[in-house]
Amino acid sequence: MNYYKQILTVTLWEYKRFFKIKNELIGIVVMLVLGTMGFYGGKYAASGTSEKRELYVEQGCPEILKEILQDSYSITEISPIKTDSIKAGIAETRQGMLLAKDGNQFILYAYKKPGGLNRLQTALDAYRQQVAMQEKDITPDKLEYIMKPASLKEEYSFQPQSSQRRVLAYFFAGLMVMAVFLSFAFQFTAITGEKQLKITEQIVSAIKPQVWMDGKILGITLTGLSSMLIYTMLAILGGVLFFQFTGASAMQITGYLHLPSILLFFVFTLMGILIWNSLLAAIASIITDPNNSGKSSLMMVPVLFVLSSFLIIRDPDNSVAVFLSWFPLTSATGMPIRWTITEISWWQLAGSFALLIIAFYYLKRLAAKIFRVSILISGKEPSWNEVIKMVKED
Amino acid sequence: MTGSKILEVESLSKKYKTVQALHDITFSLEEGDIFAFLGPNGAGKTTTLRILLDIIKADTGSIKWKLNGYSGKVPNPALMGYLPEERGLYTDLPVIRSLVYLASIRGMKPTEAHHAAMEWLEKLELADRAKEKLQNLSKGNQQKVQFIASIIHKPAFAILDEPFSGLDPLNQEKFIAYIQELNQQGSTILLSSHQMPLVEKIARKVFLINNGQEVYNGHLSDIYKKYGQHHTLIVSFDSEPPIGQLKESGIIESIEIEESNRLRLTFAQGVALNQIMEKLSCLENLHTVKSENANLHDIFVSLVQNQKAN
Repeated sequence: MNYYKQILTVTLWEYKRFFKIKNELIGIVVMLVLGTMGFYGGKYAASGTSEKRELYVEQGCPEILKEILQDSYSITEISPIKTDSIKAGIAETRQGMLLAKDGNQFILYAYKKPGGLNRLQTALDAYRQQVAMQEKDITPDKLEYIMKPASLKEEYSFQPQSSQRRVLAYFFAGLMVMAVFLSFAFQFTAITGEKQLKITEQIVSAIKPQVWMDGKILGITLTGLSSMLIYTMLAILGGVLFFQFTGASAMQITGYLHLPSILLFFVFTLMGILIWNSLLAAIASIITDPNNSGKSSLMMVPVLFVLSSFLIIRDPDNSVAVFLSWFPLTSATGMPIRWTITEISWWQLAGSFALLIIAFYYLKRLAAKIFRVSILISGKEPSWNEVIKMVKED
Repeated sequence: MTGSKILEVESLSKKYKTVQALHDITFSLEEGDIFAFLGPNGAGKTTTLRILLDIIKADTGSIKWKLNGYSGKVPNPALMGYLPEERGLYTDLPVIRSLVYLASIRGMKPTEAHHAAMEWLEKLELADRAKEKLQNLSKGNQQKVQFIASIIHKPAFAILDEPFSGLDPLNQEKFIAYIQELNQQGSTILLSSHQMPLVEKIARKVFLINNGQEVYNGHLSDIYKKYGQHHTLIVSFDSEPPIGQLKESGIIESIEIEESNRLRLTFAQGVALNQIMEKLSCLENLHTVKSENANLHDIFVSLVQNQKAN
């Protein structure tokens, strides 16, 4: 049996073991149910806040201010002698607000700091502006002229990719995060589970540890890709529905389907998942008991590339962003994102991708080597020093 | 049914941290052999088997495989069957699925593997449980499935590490029959065990190992001829046995206390029965004397004690 046939057998075994269409569908249904509940629940919760809140103002409040406030509040004028009883009522019922005036200063009384305070501030600002205009004899036309922004014509030598490309890059980065975290769970089950069930000895008597490891990495990557595909289809379906309902043109949908970009993002994402799967497999190979292993926390390392994406978005041209777009553990998302927002030449894309391939090759070999030396360790978990020593000796 | 040499092991040594697990082990197997690797727990049996399968590496020594046209230092997995001492299968999956997968990675086509698995499950009275998860089966039945997994692909060479452990006497007998059947179908068998009475029933060649060192290597029939000439007697006394007096007699190789008043005496090779009777007749309180033929266990104990003494 040749190497490729063995890898195919192990890959399909791992894939069929972990990719369950039924579980995926259940996950999607749960997600849709929770999403629907969140949408309508949020709408229902927000429905109360859309009603105008009651705002008491003292008699003598300028008409112009009342007019402005009426846009956002339900205004009730009260006699100044009732001010104290209204304040007490607000404290007791926890409802309503009282706006009083002390000289040039406004005072707001409420049970606690209300939501949407900025609306009140805006209204008061508008009122003050109008009063000031009257005092200084400024007409609305004059004010508009004063407030007009300076004219600035923008001319850049580099035009960033369209917003659709950026959305596409973030979309692939998101899918990769999902695939890697899914793989994290599967690698743990696949490797530490088999070690605990003591199946490994039987298997490595039949196939080489490298074949076993390669098959596992590919099978679990395939599982991650299948989930990615399902969620991509859902996103496309959601997009089509969204544009249908909003009445947007079909061009807006097709704008996202830029084949060269999709291909570029896909190959980077694929290599990224493979690299992370190799690293996770290497870590899982050392762990004998996931419940009591100090090394289990290392499985959270993938958070690194999520953080790196944010760093790159902030400033794609600083040296950290450039490093992250070349470093194999972060470049799978880093380089495509940089490509969409700054100037990247083809050789940078090709170089970063080549580095990904090289890193994958050595990481999978390292994973198989660690696995080989730790197959029969079932007692005390080896320390890093012991693992390095064993790998060197092997 | 023996033929050309298919495995030659030369001067194998292996050391773990502070323990010398194997010390200069040499043996060979011929096609069609049933070769038993015997020794107490921790003697080095499993280490040897793992080295043969290239799961771990030896420090020194050489291994040559010549099997069905293949030759090399590591075995050809497609020709090998392996029942590890540490049993393990996918407990959360149906029995048939695990069996087909394990046969597939040894090169069998899935359809053939399915057919062969069902045949073996039928034979081991488990066909109706083929689709059940392994965890639902009893320990003994899991052991049967593990056995099937190791030989389903009709290996030219099967390594069975402690194949009888965990089995009840009835199933032990059945397993002996399965191993013989496998051998008759053309598989060379290398088995390791510490259950010597069971091995005695099937092995043609034995390798006795203790503390990583060879104690005996040869045909089973020869070991009786060579070391089975010792007279063994079960001797009972009316009161406390005169052990000191027996040791001083100079004709006894080993004394085992079976009960407070009963001893198992193994006499040195070449000591004649009348000489023994003469010495025993001098003892006081002698109650009964019963003769016992030497078995592999006795020979092994005797050889190990000699090794220690030397």
